[in-house]
Amino acid sequence: MDKKDQMTDRREFLQNSILGTAGVGLAVASTASVAVAETQESSLAPEVTNEVDVLVVGGGTAGTIAAIQAGRAGARTLLVERNAQLGGTTTTGGVAFPGLFDAWGKQVIAGIGWELVKESVELDGGKLPNFAKVPSRHWMNQVHVNQFMYALLAEEKCQKAGVELAYYEFPQSVQKTDTGWQVDCVGFGTHRRVFCKQIIDCTGGAEVVGLLGYERLREDERQPGSYLFQLGSAHNPSSKQLHRLYVHGADSTNSRTTTLANLTGRKSILARVREKKQRLMHLQPETGFRESYRILGETLITVNDYTSGKLFDDAISYAFYPVDLHTKTGVRPKPLKPGTVPTIPLGALIPKGSRNIMVAGRCLSSDRLANSGLRVQAPCMGMGQAAGAAASLAAKQGITPKEVPLADIHALLEEHGQIVPKKA
Amino acid sequence: MKRSFVSLFTAFSFLVLSITGIIAFFRPFSIQIVGLHALVGFVFVILVALHVTNNSTPLWKYLRTKMPWLTAGITLALTALFLWQPTPIKKILGLSQNLGPALDRFELNDDGMKYQYSPSPSYKMKLEVRAGGAYDTENPPYMAIWLENASQYHIKTLQEPQDSTKGREALKYWDFKRRGWEKAKAKAAKSGKELADELGVDAVTQPTQLSSFDPEQYILPADPDNPMPYRLLIEIDDPKDDQPSLVYSVEIENWDPVTFQILDLLGYPQQEEDDEEGKEVWALYYVDGRFSSALDLIDSALLTIERNHETEDESIPTD
Repeated sequence: MDKKDQMTDRREFLQNSILGTAGVGLAVASTASVAVAETQESSLAPEVTNEVDVLVVGGGTAGTIAAIQAGRAGARTLLVERNAQLGGTTTTGGVAFPGLFDAWGKQVIAGIGWELVKESVELDGGKLPNFAKVPSRHWMNQVHVNQFMYALLAEEKCQKAGVELAYYEFPQSVQKTDTGWQVDCVGFGTHRRVFCKQIIDCTGGAEVVGLLGYERLREDERQPGSYLFQLGSAHNPSSKQLHRLYVHGADSTNSRTTTLANLTGRKSILARVREKKQRLMHLQPETGFRESYRILGETLITVNDYTSGKLFDDAISYAFYPVDLHTKTGVRPKPLKPGTVPTIPLGALIPKGSRNIMVAGRCLSSDRLANSGLRVQAPCMGMGQAAGAAASLAAKQGITPKEVPLADIHALLEEHGQIVPKKA
Repeated sequence: MKRSFVSLFTAFSFLVLSITGIIAFFRPFSIQIVGLHALVGFVFVILVALHVTNNSTPLWKYLRTKMPWLTAGITLALTALFLWQPTPIKKILGLSQNLGPALDRFELNDDGMKYQYSPSPSYKMKLEVRAGGAYDTENPPYMAIWLENASQYHIKTLQEPQDSTKGREALKYWDFKRRGWEKAKAKAAKSGKELADELGVDAVTQPTQLSSFDPEQYILPADPDNPMPYRLLIEIDDPKDDQPSLVYSVEIENWDPVTFQILDLLGYPQQEEDDEEGKEVWALYYVDGRFSSALDLIDSALLTIERNHETEDESIPTD
């Protein structure tokens, strides 16, 4: 066979192989299809208006739970989220080991957050920790969840609760109205005007509170963020913590500072890939941030309140975690004394002097050291559920959350499975 | 006094002193052994005095020779050497579980138990366990005291029950930790690996320093600018009650030194299902309703650490 014939044969072989492969591929694809919701004319129009009882801004750890609670309590609820999915630091940040739900052998935070975590674990075939066991280190009782499962279940629960979800959107302006608020949100191809009675700001940095001009607290030097990734071995979600590196100076104030944090983190990870010559098996889309702004609330939780386990008169959730301030050189968690279980007051979720707006999550009103223990995911879920309950009751009664009788908030929380701190 | 009586009594006392002396050197402190050694020692002193009296005539003759100079010289030299304790001597002393670099004392009394540990003149650790209402001073409960590093691996047992077999049976958590360490140490020695590697300490998610198993690194600490935390644990059990043993602990942070710390009750040990590799696992559980008198074995346990740091004079620069 001469050279030309050989070339022809080779070309034919390759062509036939490619065609054959494409054919098989098409056959496979045609058996695994999913239908996108039928596009309606209204979803193409850029201007959208919503009239709701409760607007939750930020679908992270606290916001998801707040929205579900508000929806389940019968409030018309809209949840606006700047990213592509719910879960915040758990899913987009990849810190998929929420805790702590227990203290000193007993569960102290339950409710909707726990329901979501539990279902994520069970559906994934995982194992929940035994709270009767003394953890070797405090973080051993954090619950490893499959972040992807968590995101899906969070969405399902929101939708089942009647919550309308709006991804890729963020408030640009907020104004008071006679009945509550007018919030203008922007997303790509969307201008959304929301009329709501109550706002729950779960942005992590109290961005909506900031837009309104209420005072916020912030440190000159923030705790580092963590960028999570996996080198070498395959990523098995929910089994082990990912590799992580500190992103010093990480700032989640706005899109520019967040971009910078992400670029810095990813640059370091790429350098590590080159250095270690290992495969990059997993990379979270975003840095996990630890602190940004905190509100100055009706109550400011101090580190003394936290470490003494003060039972506030208006306590709406427990919290439990060591004082956990991360610095340039690492973290030295300071455990709480045996038997101590801190509580979170409703006043810490209400910006001082405000009406009809609350926060939930790491931006609660607290000093820095108290915040280092309060910012973790289980208390954020507790806060979210409390904010959702208070906001829905306030919307129903036409009052501000501060005026809602505490007993009503407690009753609604208990109805939805939450453990509520109460004086004996 | 009759010469034969004194000579033989001296010889037999010497036998007791030799045996108890060797035991006291190599074995952990025991009030029985050291007490016997000391008391027989007093008797021995009297006997030697009598022996010298019986043999004073030849002794005076020896003193008129050159031998006293030689023997006195050797005695002085050895005294000086043993007082100075250069490295080779320290190594010999290190073979002792009593007189080595870690001088420790354990004392049982009516109030409870006192344990002292002084690895250096600038560091004194004292653990005082005050007996509770259920503590039987006639038949005290089994007790073990040990140190763990921040990865919760056993690094040193400070005090263990005298009856090792029964003690290990009663103090299951300490026994589990100690066995793990002993096994790993043996394997590491055989394979030439570091103990940390043998125990499979994960260096990816934890800083390498946490994997140290050298107690000296933690206690003194070896690197004062980068001290590592560790914890001290007590496990206590009265085999006469029908309750599991209890474990108390305290964390020691040399970067944030505190003189007085009370130990906290951690829980009780329970064996778990073996892990994925079929290894035995014991965990601690929070105490529940079935505990009664066991909670009253210890009233309180106070850890006192006195650290005498040398400070450098900082002279204010003058123009």
